[in-house]
Amino acid sequence: MRAAWVNAVGAVTPLGSCWRETRDALAAGRCAIGSIRSFDASGFPSRHAAAVDRDFSGEDRRTALALEAAREAWAAAGLDRQPPNPLKVGVFVGAESGRLPFSTVAALARAGGPGPVLDHARFSREAVSRARDLDSRLVSPAAVAARLVGELGARGPVATVSLACASGAAAIAEAARAVRQGECDVALAGGVGADVDPLMLAGFGLLGALSASGVSRPFDRRRDGFVLGEGAGMVVLSCEKGIARVAGIGRTLDAWSLTAPAPDGNGGLRAMRLALADAGLQSVDVVQAHGTSTPLNDAIEARAIRDALGDSLRSSHVSSIKGALGHTIAAAGALGFIAAVEAVVTGTVLPTVGLAEPDPDCALPHVVGRAVSRRVDSAMVNSFAFGGANCTLVVTRPE
Amino acid sequence: MSAPVAIVGAGAVSAFGIGWRGLGRAVAAGDLQPRESALLRDSHPGTLASEVGEIPTALDAGNARARKLMSRAARLAAIAMREALVAAGFDERREEIGAWMGVGASGIAMEDVPAIVSASFVDGGLSLHRLGDQGLLACNPLFTFQTLNNFSLCHGAILEGLGGPNAAFFSRGSGTAVALAEAVHALRAGECDRAIAGGADTALHPVTWAELQRDGFSAQGLLPGEGAAVLALAREASPALGLLESCTAVAGAQEGAAAVFRELERLPPRADLVVIAPWGTPPRAWLGDMAASRYSGAAVVDVSLRLGDSLAATPALAWVAALDLLRPGERAVVLTAGVDGDLTAAVFRKESP
Repeated sequence: MRAAWVNAVGAVTPLGSCWRETRDALAAGRCAIGSIRSFDASGFPSRHAAAVDRDFSGEDRRTALALEAAREAWAAAGLDRQPPNPLKVGVFVGAESGRLPFSTVAALARAGGPGPVLDHARFSREAVSRARDLDSRLVSPAAVAARLVGELGARGPVATVSLACASGAAAIAEAARAVRQGECDVALAGGVGADVDPLMLAGFGLLGALSASGVSRPFDRRRDGFVLGEGAGMVVLSCEKGIARVAGIGRTLDAWSLTAPAPDGNGGLRAMRLALADAGLQSVDVVQAHGTSTPLNDAIEARAIRDALGDSLRSSHVSSIKGALGHTIAAAGALGFIAAVEAVVTGTVLPTVGLAEPDPDCALPHVVGRAVSRRVDSAMVNSFAFGGANCTLVVTRPE
Repeated sequence: MSAPVAIVGAGAVSAFGIGWRGLGRAVAAGDLQPRESALLRDSHPGTLASEVGEIPTALDAGNARARKLMSRAARLAAIAMREALVAAGFDERREEIGAWMGVGASGIAMEDVPAIVSASFVDGGLSLHRLGDQGLLACNPLFTFQTLNNFSLCHGAILEGLGGPNAAFFSRGSGTAVALAEAVHALRAGECDRAIAGGADTALHPVTWAELQRDGFSAQGLLPGEGAAVLALAREASPALGLLESCTAVAGAQEGAAAVFRELERLPPRADLVVIAPWGTPPRAWLGDMAASRYSGAAVVDVSLRLGDSLAATPALAWVAALDLLRPGERAVVLTAGVDGDLTAAVFRKESP
């Protein structure tokens, strides 16, 4: 089976309109989290987010973010100048549903009548006329991939992975598999999340998953939940030797709970072991952790990382970019993957912003404060989802 | 795909009921008649649909508490997954079993949205401040569980203890074929020895049906349906219910009919049975014509006439219908055309005894 190589990356985040800007800000320890300004969040239990300070009016926010990240990666790979055979270009996107403007949601709800009980008949009569800007095709999970396919003129395999927080990593895993098995020679893959939205803030708030303090502190003893973020990360994979290799893929299900990782961390641990075995490795130099800043996830993930890497962990570094970028949900795994590629290519291990007082239960060789420079031959990325889906990827330096 | 993969079990929920045996024959015989939808009775009275009837408690997914967390698609998926796993005898080492599903955009219970919004109005206007404060209190705290698309996979996986490689693909048809193809790739690559793959969805959510109406699909003959179907797969097994020779999805929106025709040229030249599942009248005409011209002499069964279009579930229901109709020594080609303009093609064979 042939190798799947990373040829280029692209990202749009609250810290930068391209990966280089984002990387520099992350390396300097900057944090993108602030008060939500795009709507009145003063009544919500959590009022902070890491939002991209851009107005994409008239366009689905996910699609706009993904498109910019994709163009950056595509151009960085030189494919805008030398387009590949369209029939051998695949597109793999991790995405959930887009968000309707809240004015539309409110209009839809009003169509159901003034009271707390929905008047179904009235709803069916009035919904369409009240919600004139409703176009479900634009907010479909598949809309992002469809737009990217059109942009690149791709004619190969297309897939939209909707795997919640693991969507981006799982999309890269699918793309790597397709390249390895020759279904396509070039793949654009990644994820996008744009969930800084009243209903998502309400939904995740109801789960008790969001930080009341509004601070993302992965692995810190003061952590109290995650902070919503948004952004897009895209990579170009191909069968041609590139800057790093997708060496290992591990995917598992916890089969435990909809919201909480299995207490023994077995699902994540198995994903890491499978990815390491796929890469033919027993250790890695860097771990880009899922590290959401929730009390449960971080402690269980830390233990699973220790179990997976054993004594070799002493010579590794572990970090989570969610301290600076918040949790970008469907983009999280892709942005984590790009951070891992950065480590392998430049030796820059990005720090865990917000981590100042490591929780003893999360004892790991953390990167605190600023980036660490070192030789990195291999890096592992964890991405764990609500619902219990786990995806771990391993990237390595070209031999 | 190269060598075929063995189908060792199947499960389904549809208007036919729970189970897949007899489904294909009932469809072919015209026994299933669309009826007025109970799910759409309040919002769209008089809508004819292919709707899952009352589910016996003993055969339902999980317990009452678990079902409150489920979208309808997740509930149907869990039922079909259990049936497929039991039929396959996949009783042990379930943490190693892979699971791939085509899933739709799960819709929350309609009652939840106005409850939130009504509690969020101040002086006749919507207040986001009040939404974040009082609106949350009025909301079903479990509604988030119904909205994440991957939960149509994860509910069933949790109930059944599945722990292997996995993915949920958004689907209005083609993503379900991608799910099946990925399961086969994983089996071939040794990522797992056993897997399930399928799709689950409903077109009978008031918002979904309103969208399909607005986009003109209902006017072009789309019969709304719902259901779930799952195949249990093994790298090798004997005896098997059938063999899966190939499964592909073609994003028709990219190249239109050209891609579809090119894909058809790759299909085997001989088939005894062609099962088609077009979303409505226009694809029914060209899919039926293509099936008849390429496979003259083969029986052609249109499952959508009876099962309707159930979006992510459509291909999977067509697969199990084909399995039900296949006789030993025969080959079936299953072609579906979804509302996104995508085509899927799967080829099944049943070995002679």
